[in-house]
Amino acid sequence: MTSALIATGVGKRYRRLWALRDCNIDIPDGRVVALVGPNGAGKTTLLHLAAGLLSPTVGTMRVLGRTPGRDVGLLADIGFVAQDVPLYRSFSVGDMLEFGRRTNSRWDHDLASTRIERARIDLDQRVGSLSGGQRAQVGLTLALAKRPRLLLLDEPLASLDPLARREFLQSLMGEVAEGELTVVLSSHLITDLERVCDHLIVLSASRTQVAGDIDGLLASHRIVVGPRREGAEVRGVGSVVQESHTDRQSTLLVRTDGPILDPAWAEQEIGLEELVLAYLGHPDATALPQPKLATAEAEVSP
Amino acid sequence: MIWLTWRQHRLQLLYGAVVLVILTVFLLSTGFGISAAFRSSGLAQCLSVPGRDCGAANDLFMGGGARYSGLWFTIPLFLIVPAMVGVFWGAPLVAREVEQGTHRLAWTQGVGRIRWAGTKVAALAAAALVGTASLAWILSWWSRPFVAASDNRFSPGVFDLRGIVPIAYALFALATGVAAGTLIRRTVPAMAATLGFYAAVRLGVELWLRPHLASPSTVSYPFFGTNPRSGLGDWVLSTKTLDGAGHLLGNGKVLDLNVLGSRCPGLPLPTESLPNKDALQACIRQLGLHVQSTYQPGSRYWTFQGIESAIFIALAVALVGLSLWWIRNRIA
Repeated sequence: MTSALIATGVGKRYRRLWALRDCNIDIPDGRVVALVGPNGAGKTTLLHLAAGLLSPTVGTMRVLGRTPGRDVGLLADIGFVAQDVPLYRSFSVGDMLEFGRRTNSRWDHDLASTRIERARIDLDQRVGSLSGGQRAQVGLTLALAKRPRLLLLDEPLASLDPLARREFLQSLMGEVAEGELTVVLSSHLITDLERVCDHLIVLSASRTQVAGDIDGLLASHRIVVGPRREGAEVRGVGSVVQESHTDRQSTLLVRTDGPILDPAWAEQEIGLEELVLAYLGHPDATALPQPKLATAEAEVSP
Repeated sequence: MIWLTWRQHRLQLLYGAVVLVILTVFLLSTGFGISAAFRSSGLAQCLSVPGRDCGAANDLFMGGGARYSGLWFTIPLFLIVPAMVGVFWGAPLVAREVEQGTHRLAWTQGVGRIRWAGTKVAALAAAALVGTASLAWILSWWSRPFVAASDNRFSPGVFDLRGIVPIAYALFALATGVAAGTLIRRTVPAMAATLGFYAAVRLGVELWLRPHLASPSTVSYPFFGTNPRSGLGDWVLSTKTLDGAGHLLGNGKVLDLNVLGSRCPGLPLPTESLPNKDALQACIRQLGLHVQSTYQPGSRYWTFQGIESAIFIALAVALVGLSLWWIRNRIA
C-alpha cells in the first residue's frame, strides 16, 4: 500500500500565527478521507499545502511521491476545488469547460460534458446565475475532468441544501467507484461525510488529533456504562477519552483493543459523530497511528 | 492560455480599441486640415529655407485666432493613454483574481501559475504594443507641422507621444499595474497606486533625467545676430546674455537698460525716455554683448528616444520579474 499524501512535521505560519502546526498525516492510496475539525483548525491550510498553493514553513509535504508547489507537473494529477467553489462569474458553463480544456494537457471532455448534462445544467448559462448546487457540480466537474489521482475538496457541502448535498455526494461516489482515486473532503460536520468516507482525520487547534480508517476507529472505541466510579480503572480498556457521571452511574468513552472484561460495565457501540465530538471536546486525547511505523510500512510494502 | 486571456480580457481590449478608434478619427479629421494650413500660411515653405525669419507665417499658422492653434493643446490628452493601459489592463490582472478567489482555481490547473501569469502579461503587452505604436505613428504625422513651427523636437508632450517612447511607456505602465495588483491584491487601490507610481516615474525622468541623458552642447552668437542653430529642432536648456568678458548680464535673451546705462557712460538712463537706437547698438557692440545657449541638438532625437525607451523597458522587465516572483512565492 502506497501513500497519496504524507505530511511530516508540517507547519504553516502567517507572521506570528500558526495556521497549522506539527501536522503528521499519512493518507493511503485509494481512500475517501474525511478531514474534520472546527473552523480555524487548519483544514483549508492543509489542503492548500497539498494543492501547492502554499509552501510549508516547516516540515515536508509529499503528494503522490512529489513535492507540491515546486513541482508544476504534479498539478495535472491533483483536482482541487477550493472553498466556496471559485469560478469565473462572467463565463458561461461552456466557457468554464473550455477553460479546463485549455489549461490542462490531460482533459476528458466527454466526462465533463456528460457530467454537466446529467446534472441538467445548460452549457450556455452564465456561472453567475447558477445555484449553489450547480456551482458545486461545475467545480467538481472541472476537477474530475483532469482525471486526477488525488481529489481535494474544501468544504464542498457548506453552501448546499440537503437535497443538493445528497446529489453531490452521489455523483462523487460514482466517480470514486470507477477509478483509483484518492479523495480528501474537508468539513466541520461529519454527518454528511459518514456515508461516503472510509478514512478519518480530525484536526483541532491546528494539530492532528485522530487519524485512521473509520472501521478501525469505530471498532476500537466503545461507550461503557456502569456504576459510578470516578477515576477508576476498567479492565481491558486502553484509554478513556471522555467520561461523564451522574449520581448513580458513569458513562465512559473508551479506546480499547479487545472486549471489555469487567462484567460490571455494559458495552455500547459508538457512532462516528459522537466519536469525533468526544475528541474535539478533549483536545489532549489522541488516536493516531505511530507515524514512523506507518511511513516504514508504506516504504516496505510492494 | 491565449484563449483564456482573450476570454477574460476581451472587454478591456474592446474598450482600448474603441478609445484608439475615437482618437484616430479625431486625428485624421483634423490632421489634413493642419497640413493644409501649414502650407497655405507659407510656414512650410519658409521653414524649408534655413535662416529665414518665419515670424509672420508662424503667427498665421499658430497665432491667436488661427484655426488649428487650439489643437496644439489637445496633445497632453494623449499622455494619459499609456497610463490607462496600466490602470485598466495591468492592475486587475492578478488583483481581481485574488479578490474573487479565482486564483485558487486558475493556479491549480495543469499549466501552473507562472505560465498562467507569463502568458497573460505577454499577450496584453503585445496588444499594448500594437495599440500604442499605431497611435504614436498617427500622432507623429499629425503633429509634424506643430513640431516644425515650434522648432523643438523635445518639447514635453511632443517627444513623449512620437517615435518609440510611447510603446515603452505603455509596457512600463502595464508592468506597473501588474506589480501593483500582485502586491496590493485589491483592484481599486492597485489602480490608484499604478496611476501614482507611473506619473511619478514619468515626471521624474522627464524633469530630472532626460536633460542629462547626454552632455549638452553650447553655442554663442552676437546679440543682434541670428542663431546658427535655428531650424534644427534643438532642445534649448538655458539661454544667457553675456558681455565680451563673459560676465552674466541676464538670464535669457534680455537687455537690462540699467546695467547698460551704468556700463556705457554715453547712454542716457531710461528714466524719462528710451535711449536712442544708435547709441544702444554702439553700447552693445562696445560691450561685446552675446547670447550663449546650452542645448541638446535636434539630431540627438532618436538617441534620446532609444535611451529613454531602454530605461522604461528595463523597468518594465524588472517589475514583471518581481510580480512573477511574488506570484510564485507570496500568494496562495
